[in-house]
Amino acid sequence: MNYKWFAPGSFMVFFCCAYGLVFAMNWPLFTYYPLHGNFFWGPRAHTGLGPVMVWYGLMSSAGLVALLAALLIPEKVSERALRNYIWLFPLGAMLVCIFLLRQLLFA
Amino acid sequence: MTTISWLLIVHALVGVALLGAITHQAVSLLYRRPAHGARFLARYAGVNTRGFTTAVISLYVAQVTLGAVIYPSYRLNVRIPFEEMSLGWAIGIFELKEHFAGIGLGMLPFYARVWSAEPGKTPSPRRLGISLTLAFIVWLDFLVGHVLNNIRGLA
Repeated sequence: MNYKWFAPGSFMVFFCCAYGLVFAMNWPLFTYYPLHGNFFWGPRAHTGLGPVMVWYGLMSSAGLVALLAALLIPEKVSERALRNYIWLFPLGAMLVCIFLLRQLLFA
Repeated sequence: MTTISWLLIVHALVGVALLGAITHQAVSLLYRRPAHGARFLARYAGVNTRGFTTAVISLYVAQVTLGAVIYPSYRLNVRIPFEEMSLGWAIGIFELKEHFAGIGLGMLPFYARVWSAEPGKTPSPRRLGISLTLAFIVWLDFLVGHVLNNIRGLA
């Protein structure tokens, strides 16, 4: 992989931060209704189409933010700023997910 | 058996392969003693950990892709019965599995970076941290998938 134009550290940091945020705010790029195979842009709910799936949309939202960050923020910036603590970002995102799902998990 | 059932079996098999690769790598990172001993753990840890990176990345991407293909079937045929059975915890741990899998996917470029860019056998804290976090995600997702499949089965 060419790390001159793509910064993996920036990608991961922004992916984790964005994932926590879009999950908390319910900001999927699109939603999918598997019963009839309908896609819709944005998070708006549609009635009468069956159950909705937002995971693909959440992944896309976070991935888009992370891709932009990876292209715009050089690796040496994230390296210098975070060094050996960069791996804590996924743990933080995982803790956010546990917190947001607490009512299901600990009911 | 339906196509989804076959895909679910392939999903499980890829999961086993991924579990094996990433566990090998994680144990090798944690086991610092000379790897030339006769003990099983020494031999298990005495592998070229760098060589597992490509396998882990390929298997992880394949695994998430398979999961994403199967997911609509879960949403329609498994989650709704779970809701009817008031198995909120089962729905919760599946949601946790999917979100953790997504976070793991976002970690892969950096995981590849720390394994390709850092020379030497002594792991840096970030290589250790990122590899063990990814191993934790893989283990958790595998166990959750196993438990949920035991509840609902292939039917």
